[in-house]
Amino acid sequence: MRAPAASDIAAGEAILSVKNVSLAFGGVKAINDVSFDIKKGEIRAIIGPNGAGKTSMLNVINGFYHPQHGQITFKGRTRQAMRPYEAARGGIARTFQNVALFKGMSALDNIMAGRTLKMRRGFLWQMLRIGPALTEEIAHRRRVEEIIDFLEIQAIRKIQVARLPYGLQKRVELGRALAMEPDLLLLDEPMAGMNLEEKEDMSRFIIDVNDHYGTTIALIEHDMGVVMDLSDRVVVLDHGVKIADGTPDEVKSNQAVIDAYLGVAH
Amino acid sequence: MPRGIVGAAQREDAVAIDATAAADTFPKLLVHNARVRADRPALRHKDLGIWQTWTWADLLDEVRAYAVGLHRLGLKRGDTIAIVGANRPRIYGSVMAAQMLGAVPVPVYADAVADELAYVLAHAEVRFAAVEDQEQVDKIVSVAERLPKLETMVYDELKGLRDYDHAKLRAIDDVIADGRTALANDPKVAEWLDNEIAAGKGSDISIILYTSGTTGQSKGVVLSAKGCIDAARDTVAFDKLTDQDEALAYLPIAWVGDHYLNYAQQLVAGFCTACPEHGETAMQDLREIGPTFYFAPPRTFETMLTRVMIRMEDASFIKRKLFHYFIGVARRYGEAILNGQPVPVQGRLLYRLGQFLVYAPLKNVLGLSRVRVAYTAGEAIGPDLFSFYRSLGMNLKQLYGQTEAFLYVTCQPDGQIYSDTVGPAAPNVDIRIADSGEVLFKSPGMFVGYFKDDAKTKEAMTSDGYVKTGDAGFFDQKTGHLKIIDRAKDVGKLNDGTLFPPKYIENKLKFFPNIREAVAYGDKRDFVAVMLNIDLTAVGSWAERNNVVYGSYQELAGHPLVYDMVARHVEETNRALAADKMTAGAQIRRFLILHKELDADDGELTRTQKVRRGFIAERYDPLIKALYDGSAEADISTEVTFEDGRKGNLSARVKIRDVTTVPTLEKAA
Amino acid sequence: MILLGQILEVLISGLLSGVLYSLVALGFVLIYKASGVFNFAQGAMVLLAGLALVRSLDFVAAQGFPMWTAIILGLTFAAAVMTLSAYVIERFVLGPLVNQDGLTLFMSTIGVTFVLEGLAQMVFGAEIYPLKLFPTDAWFLAESIFPGGILLNKLDVWGGLIAGVLVAGLAVFFQRTKTGRALRAVADDHSAAQSVGIPISWIWFVVWLVAGLVALVAATVWGTKLGVQFSITFLALKALPVLIIGGFTSVPGAIIGGLIIGAGEKLAEVYLGPFMGGGIEYWFGYVLALVVLMFRPQGLFGERIIERV
Repeated sequence: MRAPAASDIAAGEAILSVKNVSLAFGGVKAINDVSFDIKKGEIRAIIGPNGAGKTSMLNVINGFYHPQHGQITFKGRTRQAMRPYEAARGGIARTFQNVALFKGMSALDNIMAGRTLKMRRGFLWQMLRIGPALTEEIAHRRRVEEIIDFLEIQAIRKIQVARLPYGLQKRVELGRALAMEPDLLLLDEPMAGMNLEEKEDMSRFIIDVNDHYGTTIALIEHDMGVVMDLSDRVVVLDHGVKIADGTPDEVKSNQAVIDAYLGVAH
Repeated sequence: MPRGIVGAAQREDAVAIDATAAADTFPKLLVHNARVRADRPALRHKDLGIWQTWTWADLLDEVRAYAVGLHRLGLKRGDTIAIVGANRPRIYGSVMAAQMLGAVPVPVYADAVADELAYVLAHAEVRFAAVEDQEQVDKIVSVAERLPKLETMVYDELKGLRDYDHAKLRAIDDVIADGRTALANDPKVAEWLDNEIAAGKGSDISIILYTSGTTGQSKGVVLSAKGCIDAARDTVAFDKLTDQDEALAYLPIAWVGDHYLNYAQQLVAGFCTACPEHGETAMQDLREIGPTFYFAPPRTFETMLTRVMIRMEDASFIKRKLFHYFIGVARRYGEAILNGQPVPVQGRLLYRLGQFLVYAPLKNVLGLSRVRVAYTAGEAIGPDLFSFYRSLGMNLKQLYGQTEAFLYVTCQPDGQIYSDTVGPAAPNVDIRIADSGEVLFKSPGMFVGYFKDDAKTKEAMTSDGYVKTGDAGFFDQKTGHLKIIDRAKDVGKLNDGTLFPPKYIENKLKFFPNIREAVAYGDKRDFVAVMLNIDLTAVGSWAERNNVVYGSYQELAGHPLVYDMVARHVEETNRALAADKMTAGAQIRRFLILHKELDADDGELTRTQKVRRGFIAERYDPLIKALYDGSAEADISTEVTFEDGRKGNLSARVKIRDVTTVPTLEKAA
Repeated sequence: MILLGQILEVLISGLLSGVLYSLVALGFVLIYKASGVFNFAQGAMVLLAGLALVRSLDFVAAQGFPMWTAIILGLTFAAAVMTLSAYVIERFVLGPLVNQDGLTLFMSTIGVTFVLEGLAQMVFGAEIYPLKLFPTDAWFLAESIFPGGILLNKLDVWGGLIAGVLVAGLAVFFQRTKTGRALRAVADDHSAAQSVGIPISWIWFVVWLVAGLVALVAATVWGTKLGVQFSITFLALKALPVLIIGGFTSVPGAIIGGLIIGAGEKLAEVYLGPFMGGGIEYWFGYVLALVVLMFRPQGLFGERIIERV
């Protein structure tokens, strides 16, 4: 049973669509009947004030949360929920708001961990490091080195990630997600906690990833400014409800969005 | 046409060139090296985590194709071409390919901001630019309207450039591929190229190096091919460099030192130059390459030592004890052993043991195990720092030079090493001290003139053809070596007539690991006062050990305990100044620690990290006033430039401290 | 010469019995490294493995099969039991507790301990069963140098050899294989591991399986030494100081820690015992561990605890 390849979907068509999804924790509704889609090859932003349900939405897409209602169609296959492992196998990679790296490992090993699903050889071969396992290891290492080069983190390759400054950790995390060669890359507040310079670096990398690898990207931000420059289309959530969807310019001039950000509506 | 035939034609031609004249241009040297040591490594670069090597034959092959490709884009003899980027094979290749066509490369500092870049490119009238990546392309595009002559840019790194308008933009890869096709399709092309190489003369302009300039706009120093090669031949012989040597090129390519040490000497001696993987990996690459010839400014040696010391603080008790004990042994005997002086047997044995337990592993960690010859220059080096490396058995020497000389004016021969001299005149260099104390020289590598600036060229020369260095110095009686005190124009006088050599004082202060930068004032004033930058690494580590909490440089710099510590350093400096009759009157009375680190992006330092005293004085005028009017603190607000060119404001209240001076013997008496 | 020979003998036997502590400590390290859980049940797992082995071995041997067949079948059966228990523990205890904090998981392993101990004795019996897998007689070395030579227990030597092979194998497994890398990844961050497609339940099963197999190896040696009996579970307590000294996260640390404790307590017993009334062996390890805790809380080989805000 082969997961449909992203190449089966033409650029500009929806790679993922979310239909009428609702998610509640106990009595609290985190997401309420939200629908939108992500088109292949675009940078799609999900924005909204704090507590709007953005991260919950990402967790639904990536399989951490299972919505009570609604459907998710990814690469032509529809389901109500999937497990994180299936999402990863299907080609969804993600980063986390507060950086979730394997702190005890080097930057290189972290990114190599992103290749886990691509490795086929059994552990006995790998332990002996001979034959096909060796060839495979070299091929994966090469891909990882390309990513290291791409993200300009050569200098920290062998350094344990816990020792790295926050901005670089975020970059390693992006590298790990890229190593999965995802069809859909979910970025949870990629600029959170960064200074202006680091934010601009990160924006550049996000655009480069989209440009260079053609990866479809969905990112969450609450900082409007960054998002408007980056994304092709923007969904705005507020208190779990979708209040706007469109190009950055459309969204910017939308009264509901302005109210939500100024806190007028509630 | 098969490549072999081109190769054969090439070789015959190379023999012809070699037979007619000793190679007097770099392209001829390249051809020569590809013939006599075709399979020796010429360049290395770490790519995707693996070291890639080009032999001399590979290099010539690629540079020939590149040159043809560039020519097909329109580059021709006499044109100038800007080279902007880090130390990468393609960047050095661009220099070689340009020279092969008789065009003149103009390297520019890769970290120059767009404005500086625009000035140099406009002044040099470049029609072409070979750049590393998107960052540099963006910078040049942003100032395109100031560069009407610029036609085409070629770049090394595709990333981010895919969607750019390629009307005036080419990937170096494509240029080389195009040249290769042309060479393969038409034998006449190879013949034409051979003729171009042969047409180069020693008197041709080989390169224009723009000085970073401590004052005002930079000047284009024009160097001839023969001058460059003659100078390099002298020092290659002086330090017995051969094609077995290896260097790591990590210094800015626009700086004379890099062009001299890693390019001119490389081509003359035929050794291998390795390019770091990335700007920030130089230290790791150093360890992996283990160069035999190494140059670093004192600052780099200092950073390395600071790192070692910090690591030792964290090391286990036994390791730390062992380290300090054997470093002590090295300090006692190391230099004497290196200089071939008599040393007691027990000292020799202890040193041997230390070699095994401490020095060899340490040098290995630093990447200095294989170093045969190492130089430092650019700034005075602290005596402790200097002897630390020498005591480990590293042949570290000093040289003095400048762009106008194509680097070397003096250099220390093996066995005659002193931390406070820069050595006797380099081979074939003639030095004279003017009555004003200014050092003048004539040398094989000396420049032809400043590009498009005869007035300045005249100003820089004496009527009998010596170059004015602008540095004040004298020959030491005891050693016969040259000693440099300061910039000639910077040596000032206090109001009471006492001599005031600012740099001399600043250097003494900077020898303390906790002090990163110092700027001294005193000319036409009543006393000497200094502004300091602390070293964030060293003081930060001290703060950690002493439970001093801080959130930023600014906070740490203003901490009273830091002030106390720095005050002790200043007092110690005063004691040193008091020891010498000439400088006893120039002791420091007041100091302050600046709220921000001096930065080249803000124009406070030059690109080679020298302080621009005048500019700093203007910028921090309120602080200087406060230093001299007796206030205990002063407010300051300065504009700062971020790396991307945006500007912001930084304001602070800076404290000022008085320090005690040492009464001099004469005055006391 | 007599004194020196004696010291050597005590030292060597101490070192070798230290290796046996290491064998038990290894199981702890594996699970701790891979899941961040301090597995209180490791001692019970040794008991379970030992009982499964000895009882099945005796059973097969009683059917008249040759000894080597019995050993192979016994080991296979015991390995199968450990596999099953790893599966059950993952499926019913730890699986449902994914993303809970370390203390909760630790408590759950205490529960596992009692269940394992109870079940093991219920199914396989609660007596002392002698196990004879390795020779237990002794060598006398260097008799020409020291009067009487140095006594060396063959079982201890076997233990040392087995521990060495085990450590080398585990080190390679952790460093080189994707499963090893995945184990470390899961230990560091569950959600991140899931996000790159590492199936947590599978990894935890592998961890418990490996720990179970290590327990089996420990059981072969300890069972031969002491007989398989309930008191073997107290080995878990012996392993504690070893872990503190070696560090909870270091495989070589577990070995060195074991050597230090083994040698230290034997030397203390023989040379300090007469002055302090003996019995030093039982608490000396803890004193050593306390001393280490004071100077290096992360153990001699443990990873430095780095917290960044």
